[in-house]
Formats: sequence, C-alpha cells, structure tokens
Amino acid sequence: MPPLTEHIVLRDLDVPNIGDQEVYIQNGGYEALRIALKEKTPADVMTMVKDAGLRGRGGAGFPAGVKWGFLPKGVYPRYLLCNCDESEPGTFNNHQIVDRNPHQLIEGIILAAYAIECHTAFIYVRGEFAHAARTLQRAVDQAYEKGFLGKDILGSGFELDIIVHRGAGAYICGEETALMESLEGKIGQPRLKPPFPAVAGLYGKPTIINNVETLTNVPMIVRKGVEWYRTFGTERSPGTKVFSLSGHVNRPGNYEVPFGTPLRELIEADYYGGGMRNGNQVKIVVPGGASAAWLTAAQLDVTMDYEALAAAGTMLGSGGVIVLDETVSAVEVAYKMDEFFKHESCGKCTPCREGTHFLVKVLHRLNHGGGRQGDIPILHDVYNQMAGNCFCLLGESAVVPIRSALKLFPHEFEEAIARATAGANGANGKHAIALVTH
Amino acid sequence: MPDVTLIIDGQTVTVPAGTNIVDAARSTEVSIPVFCYHPKLRPVGMCRMCLVEVWTPRIDPATRQPVLGEDGKPVLALMMGKLQPGCVPPVSDGMVVKTVTDKVQFAQKGQLEFLLSSHPLDCPVCDKGGECPLQNLTMQFGPSTSRFDYADKVHFEKPIALGDTIYLDRERCILCSRCVRFQDDIAGDPVLGFDNRGRAWEIISKSDPPFDSKFSGNTTDICPVGALTSADFRFKSRVWEVRSVPTICTHCPVGCNLTFDMRHNQLMRVMPRENDYVNEIWNCDKGRFGMRFAESGDRLTTPLIRRNGKLVEASWEEALQLVGERLAELRDDAGSQALAGLAAPDLSNEDLFLFGKLLHDTLGSPNLDHRVGVAGEAAIDDLPAAYGVGQGTNLLELGKGTAVLVFGADPEEEAPLYLLRLRGILARGGDVTVVNPYATKLEHAATRSLRVRPGAEQALALALLKVVIDEALDTTFAERLRDTDQLRRILGEYTLAQLAEAAGVAEEQIQAGARAFAQAEHGIIIYGRHALAGGNDLSNTLANLALLCGKVGRANSGLIALTSGGNTRGAIDMGVRPRGGLSAAEYWPAASAGTLRGMYIAGLDPARQSAAAAAALGNLEFLVVQDIFLTATAELAHVVLPTATLFERDGTFTNAERRVQRSRQARPASAGQPAPWEIFQRVAQAIPVAVPAGNSNGSDRAAGWGYVVASDVADEISRKVAGYSSAGYTSLGVTRQSWGRQANDDVYYDGTSYINTEGVGVQISSRADDPKASFSLSRVAYPGAAAGEGIALLPVVRAYDGGDWARGSKLQPRMVPAHVVLSHADAARIGIGVGETVRIETVAGSASLPAQIDTGLAEGVALLPLVAGIAAGDLLTGAVTAARIERAE
Repeated sequence: MPPLTEHIVLRDLDVPNIGDQEVYIQNGGYEALRIALKEKTPADVMTMVKDAGLRGRGGAGFPAGVKWGFLPKGVYPRYLLCNCDESEPGTFNNHQIVDRNPHQLIEGIILAAYAIECHTAFIYVRGEFAHAARTLQRAVDQAYEKGFLGKDILGSGFELDIIVHRGAGAYICGEETALMESLEGKIGQPRLKPPFPAVAGLYGKPTIINNVETLTNVPMIVRKGVEWYRTFGTERSPGTKVFSLSGHVNRPGNYEVPFGTPLRELIEADYYGGGMRNGNQVKIVVPGGASAAWLTAAQLDVTMDYEALAAAGTMLGSGGVIVLDETVSAVEVAYKMDEFFKHESCGKCTPCREGTHFLVKVLHRLNHGGGRQGDIPILHDVYNQMAGNCFCLLGESAVVPIRSALKLFPHEFEEAIARATAGANGANGKHAIALVTH
Repeated sequence: MPDVTLIIDGQTVTVPAGTNIVDAARSTEVSIPVFCYHPKLRPVGMCRMCLVEVWTPRIDPATRQPVLGEDGKPVLALMMGKLQPGCVPPVSDGMVVKTVTDKVQFAQKGQLEFLLSSHPLDCPVCDKGGECPLQNLTMQFGPSTSRFDYADKVHFEKPIALGDTIYLDRERCILCSRCVRFQDDIAGDPVLGFDNRGRAWEIISKSDPPFDSKFSGNTTDICPVGALTSADFRFKSRVWEVRSVPTICTHCPVGCNLTFDMRHNQLMRVMPRENDYVNEIWNCDKGRFGMRFAESGDRLTTPLIRRNGKLVEASWEEALQLVGERLAELRDDAGSQALAGLAAPDLSNEDLFLFGKLLHDTLGSPNLDHRVGVAGEAAIDDLPAAYGVGQGTNLLELGKGTAVLVFGADPEEEAPLYLLRLRGILARGGDVTVVNPYATKLEHAATRSLRVRPGAEQALALALLKVVIDEALDTTFAERLRDTDQLRRILGEYTLAQLAEAAGVAEEQIQAGARAFAQAEHGIIIYGRHALAGGNDLSNTLANLALLCGKVGRANSGLIALTSGGNTRGAIDMGVRPRGGLSAAEYWPAASAGTLRGMYIAGLDPARQSAAAAAALGNLEFLVVQDIFLTATAELAHVVLPTATLFERDGTFTNAERRVQRSRQARPASAGQPAPWEIFQRVAQAIPVAVPAGNSNGSDRAAGWGYVVASDVADEISRKVAGYSSAGYTSLGVTRQSWGRQANDDVYYDGTSYINTEGVGVQISSRADDPKASFSLSRVAYPGAAAGEGIALLPVVRAYDGGDWARGSKLQPRMVPAHVVLSHADAARIGIGVGETVRIETVAGSASLPAQIDTGLAEGVALLPLVAGIAAGDLLTGAVTAARIERAE
C-alpha cells in the first residue's frame, strides 16, 4: 500500500506552518465550519460522521457518530470533552496534532459541538504538554478573534466556548470518568459506570468525550465528504490512523497510514520505519500502546485495523507501536511496563492497587537475579486475580504485559529463575530499553 | 416499586426493584462478603470483595425478547463477560447470581490476599479486633497464607490524630471510603478526603480544626478495619470483654439509643444502638464522647449541710430529716405557695413524676418548672401533645411526598441527629424549607432557605398561613376545624406583601414554602430554640398551619419541638411545669421579695446563668439542691443531695417525637448516690405528717410513697398520665427488625453493640390521633414592633457548650469559648477584628466578649452562643434583645 499523498490528520506534513491560523485558513481551514453552519443541521453533521464510519482513536474504537447519538434528547446543558491526556506508553500522535495542527482540532471540536448541540467544550491537556497547551491556547484565542468561537459563530447564532485545561500528569486522567473528576477539581479517579458519560458526565450533565485524533478527522469529513473519506482504509475501519512508531526501528516517528496497512510495511518500508536497527530481528511488537497484547515476529503480516488486530488477540489501542528487537529481555519489558502501571495506579480498587505492586515485586526480583522457584505460578495467579476484576481498564491493562510475556516467552522466566537459583547475578544478560512515554 | 424475582445460588428470591445483589442475597442465607459497601451508603464498587457471577437472559435485539434455548429456557449470558461487584448492578427479572463458583472463590481469595499484603496484621493490639470485618471475612473467605513475602508492607506514621476524637492508622486502612462517604453524604460535613495515589493513597482531613464534624465517631463504627479508632476507647478494652448496657442519651431531645459498653463497672465506650425510628445506627459525638462526666472525681458523694455558713458533709439520714422537716415547716408556716421546685429536663419520667408528686401533691405547691427562668429561654410548649407527630411516624421512611418546615431551629446544634434525619429526607426526594434569622448547616442542604428578619418570625408564619388560606391549598381538614373565621379575619387585614416585607423575605419564597408544605402528603413542622424563645404565639401559629393543612393526627405529620434537655416532653407531661403557680422566671422576683421562701432544685443551675437568680436564691430561707456536681446553685444551698447519673439508674425518657424509651442501669453509683426519684421518695417519707387522731401507732410515713424499683413509678405513670398507658416497660421492650435480616451480623458491618435487643420504645399518641377530635385554631396576633434600637442580639444554642457533661471528655478542645458573633458589616462599622473584645450593653446588663465575624450574618444581627461563661440572664431580654455593641476600651 503506497504512502498517503495527502494527509487527513497530519496535514502539517503537507502544508508548512499550518499551525498558523492564516495558513490553515488559506488551505481550506474553517471551510467545513462554514459549510456546516450555513448548509447543514446538527443532525446532518452527526449523520455524516456516522456514515463516514469514524471510529474513536482513543483506544476502544467505538464509532464516534453513534456515541454522539447516545445523548439523551432534550437534556441541556451538554458538554464536549476533548481528551488530550495522551499518556499511553509509546504514544505521541496527539502531541504532534496539537503542536503542529491545532486549528484543525479546534475546527473539529466546533463541528462536533454543533452536531451535539453543546455550547461548552473542554480540552483536557496532559500536564507535561506545556508547550502544546500554550500553542493550543493561542490557537483558541485566535479562533475567538476570528469569530469561530464565542457567541454567534459566523453569524449562525451558534455559540461555543472552548476551555483549555491542563492536567497534572496522571495517566489515569486519560480514563474518561477520571478525566471528568479531575476537570471538576477532584482527585483523578474513575467513576462507577453506569451512568455513562453520555447520560451523566461532567458535572452530572450529558457529556461526549472524544480523542484529539478523532475530532481532528471531523473537518475533513465535513469538507470533503463521506465518500472521499471512505476511500481510505477498510470497510469497517475507514480512514487513516496515525501510528506512533517507536523502539528499535531505524525511523521512529508518527506515520499516518490508511487502516489496513500491514504491520510489516509499517516497520520495514523505507517511507515508514525503514527496518530494524543494525538489521536485527523483531522480537516483540506492542501494536497499540502498553495496554495492548504483544505480537511476535511471526505475526508481522497482520494488517493495522481494528478487526485484524482483534483477531490476532490484541488491539489497535492508542496506535502506539513499540517494536523491540532480540536484544531485549521479555522479563524486563514486562517489568518496565508493569512498573509504569503500578506507578500510575490510582489506588481506588484493591486488585489494581495491590496487584500491580505484587506483580512488580516479583518481576523486579526476577529481573534482578532474585527469581525463586514458584514465581511463575505466583505471577499467573496474581494477574488472574486482577484480570476482569479491576474497577477500570488501568488494572486490566497491567495484566497485559505480564500475560503476554509469560505466554510468549515462558522460557525466559524459567531461565531467570534457574540463573538466580544457580547464584548468577543480573537478568538475562541483556540490557534495558527505555520506553518512550511522551 | 414492583418486585423483581431472581435466583441466587439456586434459591428464588423476590425483592423490590432497585435492590442490589448484595442486599438481595442478604434476604436469604447467602452471604456475599463486602468491605466498601454499606447499606447506609451509596455503593462505589471499589474494594472488589463482592465479585459474583451475574447471569442475565440474553435479549434478542430485534424482538427485545429473551432468546430461548433448545430446552425452551432463556439463554443466559455472563454480564459483561466477567465477574460483577454485587453491590452495584440492581437486580432484574430472570437474573441468576452465583456466589460460590471456582471463579468467585478465586477472586475472593485474591482480593483478601491483596488486602492483607498491605495490612500490618496487628490484630492483637488493634481495638477493632473481635468485631472486625477484615478478620471475619479473612477467616471465612480468605487464604490461610500469603505468598506476598515481602517485609515492605505499606508504612505510615501510626497512628495520627485525625481530630480530637479520632485516630487514623493508615497502615490498617483498606481504602474503602466508607468514612469519606459517610461524611460527604450522611453527615454533610465533607471534611475527609484522599491524598496521593496508588498504594500511597491515604485518608486525610481537609478541615481546620481537623475532622471538624459532630458525627465523627460514627466513622469508627462503619470502618471495616481498625483504621479509625476513637481517642475515647483506644486500648481501653477488648470488645469481647465488655458488658453492653442499653441506655438513652439525654443530651438533647432526639433520644438516641445508646449502648454503654462496661467492664468492671467502668465505661469503656459509648456506641449507638440501632433504632430506625430515632437514630438509625448513628449518634453524635456529644452523645458518644460526652459521657465521661459520670466518672469525674468532682462528683458529689455525700450529702452536705450548711453549718455556720459552710457546707459540710452529713449522713443521708441527717440530711433527709432536715430537708423533710424544713420543707414541712415552711409549708406550715408560710403556706405551700411559698415553696417552689425546679427539676431538670434531662431527668427521667420516673424522677419528674415523683418530683411533681412531692412538690405538688405532698407539699401542695403549684410552683414547678423545668427551666431556670432567664430571659431568652424557651416557652413551655405543650402543642406537640396535641399535634405532635402522629403515632407510627418514622422519618427514615420519608422522602418524596414529604415536606418539612424547619422554623427557628438549628438542628445541628440543638438536636444533631435531626440534621442527619433531615438530610436523609432530602436525599430521598423530600422537601425541606428552612426559616431562620441566621445561617445553619441544614440550610446548605435544604430545598429553600427563608432568612427571616429577627423579631419578625410571627409575620413570616402568618404569611405562610395566608398563602395557604388565600390559595385554598388544602382543605381536607377544614371540617374538623373551628374558628377559622377568626384567623381569616386577622389575616384579611394584611396583604402578603406587607407580611413578606415585615419578615424580610421575598413573597415567592414564602409561597414556594407554603405550597410545598400544604401540598405534600406528609408535612412536619420542626421548630427549635429560636422559635420557642419567641413565646407561644409563634408556635400556635405554626400549629394552625399544620392544622389548616391537615398535617396532624396521622403518622409522619405534625409538630416536633426541639427543646433543650433530653426529656422536656417528659417534664411537661409529668407536670413539672407551673400548675397554677409561678413560672421559673417569676421565682426570682418572688424569692427576692420574700414571698417564695423555700425551694427544691434538682439538676438545674440558675445561679450560673443569672446574677439576679443567684441573689434571689441567696435570699431563700431554705434551699435544697440535688445534683451530681457542686454547682454555683449548690454552693448557695442549705442542703446538697448527691444523686446518681444516667449510668446508675433505670428510667424512661420521652423524646421530641414523643417516643418513650427505656434506659437501663449500667452500674451502681460509685458512692451509693441514689437515683433522683429515690431521693424524692425519701424526702417525702421524711416529711412529718399530722398523726390522725385515734391512730396510736402513728405512722410518720406519707401515704402513697412505697416505690421499690423504677418500674413501680412507671406503672403509676401509665395509669395516671394521659397518653402513657401504652408505655409500660413491657411494650417499651419490643424490638423491631432493621435493614435486613442480617443487619446485625457482625461478619459484615461489625459494631456488635448496635444490636437493639432492648426495644425501640413506644411512640405515644397525640390528642390529634383521635379521629373524632376536632380542633380550635389558636388566636394569633400580628406581631408588634421588632426589638428596639441597636443590634438584634440572638441567643443561639451550641452543642459543645462547655457544660458539666463535658467533664473528662475528649471533646474538651472543641468547646465553644464565650464570644459574640458579629456581621461583617457591623464589625467593620465598629472597627473590630476577629478575636478583639467588644462591649455589649442591653437594658438587662452588659458584658465584654471577644468577637467572631460571620460574613453570612445580616447587618444588624449578632449571635450570642449560650456557652459556659455566658450568663444569659444578665444580658438578654428575650428571643431578640436590642443591644449596643461597641469596641471595648
């Protein structure tokens, strides 16, 4: 599959300085907004997004237009939240969008707000994205100046305020209900569902929450039409996806590719990953952020779309593709990833709070020459005591790396134990990798 | 709500819709273990202890009908494909719950292994040991060993004081948030919260002073581990060593059911005892931590007699002989009218009945009262006997369809549990209108708040009446009412606008309050200290409002007066009130003038509250004071008689809802001090009677004084006092099952002392309960002008008033110091900052007090908390006192 000649989301790659409002406008910016406000009803916009098959890019892949339709009729005010708390290890595409192409995101938010008849939208920006948050705020200010935001937008009578809110750097605040708690000024922890946000979300009001990338797609759908949009991707996963490629590839970075592109192409093609460093072999691919189950070298022909990845036992997730070569230890990768989840566990539910700690304890000793007989059954028990039993997906995600590692590379655990019991020091003799988490 | 039928572990269960799975299971033999879930709190699904398999019929999306299998039965699907917390999903028809499968047991074991991996396992030194759900559930569901062999349990400094009364051990805490939810939702004092995250997540206090809530003790009860323990009980005793004695709290008119946990006749701790009609499973900190006074070393132990101007110890025989003789002498010399009695409204019905019998029947005095006779105190208000809440009232069952009017009261301070009960009614969808001249905590939760101008309460009450009459909102009761014309005539003279203007409240607010009350199915008027201090006109008007709206004579409707003292209702019913004679306020001039010459004071201390009263007491020829401490009044006495406390005697008490409840003796009095009623009997027996001619044996014992135990007095009360025939000790002992069959199963919710095996008491009927009764509306007058020039000084009740009850209490640091509260505007005008001293002058006297500033207070209004150090009688003239407040030089 050839690379895109024209990007839908990463248009900064096609148009230099599209982050400038003038440049954005000269290149079709805010045209979708004019079209929508002048020619289309909110329902029309919602139908377009539904028909385009735009699926949520935050991880779950739920159709955005369908989600919008869940709002209870006649209940106001409603809120739109843009989730820009991008914190999934190995994921950095939202950051590029916000930093380089903020106006397209803002236009997408306005269109979505118009579609769901909402007059206040919030962008919850990850705390560490200081520069991006300033860029975004500047873009929002410019949108107000041009009359794209505020009262009576473009003379249509439609009104919208966007509030850019910076988080304080907790992974859990990317979980939609924890994000709402945080936005309300409370401790960032997930809420009990139901009620779901569409019924009772921010401040107890009907709320739609979408990912940055999802919303950034909307202006192009409205401007260029459903048919055009559906020329990209597959039937059930239309459009493109920005994958954050990291790890031991020669050309790490964000690549916007049509859904359905083979993983092998993403890693090996000159215009994408450019192959493995030093000609090494692929050992582990984590296709959708640290929460996604691992793939091995034998599975590189899987195509990068929701269905194919699910069939392969993993998920597209956040689109953070971490490619690791044979120099890494599976034990250490699992340890590093679960240490992240342990660090980010909010503490609300028992299995996540205690289970991640328990896992990391055992993984730590395995990884540091202290493995013991019986550690493998303990690890199996602990993740099984967590799996399906946690309050939210954070704890469930923590199960994934250790389960993958034990399933795919059990011998490495056995070797670690054997080495430790034989008195050797150090892990498998392989060195650590640093996971990209920004 | 319709019932739902489901199957739990093979048993078919039918429960009301909306019930969660844990509660549904509790109605059978099935135990689903829980930590964070508590039936009184909203579920949060955090601890993951109650995970069960929930199977529901698969629904065909096209037909919306259950999919049937080959056997014709619905095909079941595991909800969400995984285990569900039983505390969260409501039951639905056809649901099948499995609580004993391999998967469930694996999860239960897992959660307990996880919880214990952080837990210090210091059960041998933990106060919770023996009634700890974590212990119990670990024994029942947990693994016997842990594979988490690290020494790095979570470590925190332990314990830390979370306030004056509660210690927090963060190592024991399993982070279930029961305490936080109790404070947020039940108490309405959101002073607890969380800090940090993950394994470092911890409970913190967010208030200053820390844990600033009058309900903090309850969190130690619902804490499922030993994380929250009370300063009052720490390391005092193992819980299985105590003997639990059922008692009734007498600190306020709620009448909370308590358990005194005793060991070796010493009080170890006070726990609430479950009674859904009164206090559910809660009590306030004053009731829980304010019971140490009985152990005070300052207790009077022997009678004292004044000799050569000094009180010296005497024997009981000598003291009683003297009292009997002197009272008889005065009666014979100056007549019964020269004798008067005061008895405290926290004595038992038995005490008060016999006090009345002694003063009125034996000595012939019409002068009785249960107040101290200083300006600004409550009027005697007998309306609840007529229109009190109807028999069968249970505030716990009220919500939607109920309207409560809270008039001139601050429930948090005057009767703390009512704040919880009213918050509960609001949470269940009820409507609460607050009318008060200053802000109260209830106001924050109330449906609407009407900030009445001080002194214009009657105008507002009339305005409410006017709306009801003008809009003909409720006429269901009209045929049973007489004299409505008179009321219509008075109200016809004013427009609503005039009354609203006088009251300082918007007409729409008044209309909203009146409509809500009139149109509700159940209507209750709760009025408190401020309303009662305004005299009987106001309460009569409120009674008229209830009558006119038909909100009397049936369950869950009527009047509730928040009086001071735990048994004011009993005092009124037992006849400790002026019986054609003087009221307490009239005692002092009469005593000063020498027309009152002898007085018997039981449990009250007028000398502390009024210099005039103290002077008058000094003028008496004979003063008997019966108390547990040597009070200011006792120091003026000729004879002082020491008495038993609540702990040390049996008795019954009548609460604000006219529920008669029995309190048991927890221990003998340490120095053999008799119960008050026993002393009254012995005094009566010491009064010489004229020996009838011809009786050569000559008994000097008064007839009718042969009571052996308290129940002998109670029997006589049930024969002689209207309404009390149903309140014999046997009826009072009837228990009632509360919130589910296993409510007291200590596996779940601990607190073995909750169990109410001694009865929930009997609510006696009001006169309006008689369906044939008809009623007269009281004559009401339009109020005169409000208080005179200057700042309106209002006496306000503070629960933590520094009274004798607080001796030895951990609550001592929370006692409210003597001060005056000024509005921001007045403080600015006077040029006073927080803590600076002001001089208050009224026609009654003057005082210098430090000032506090309340930005919520209206200009021209100041509050005078009635606490230790304030002699109200020397400053006040009534419910509203015109005061000049200036910077003290």
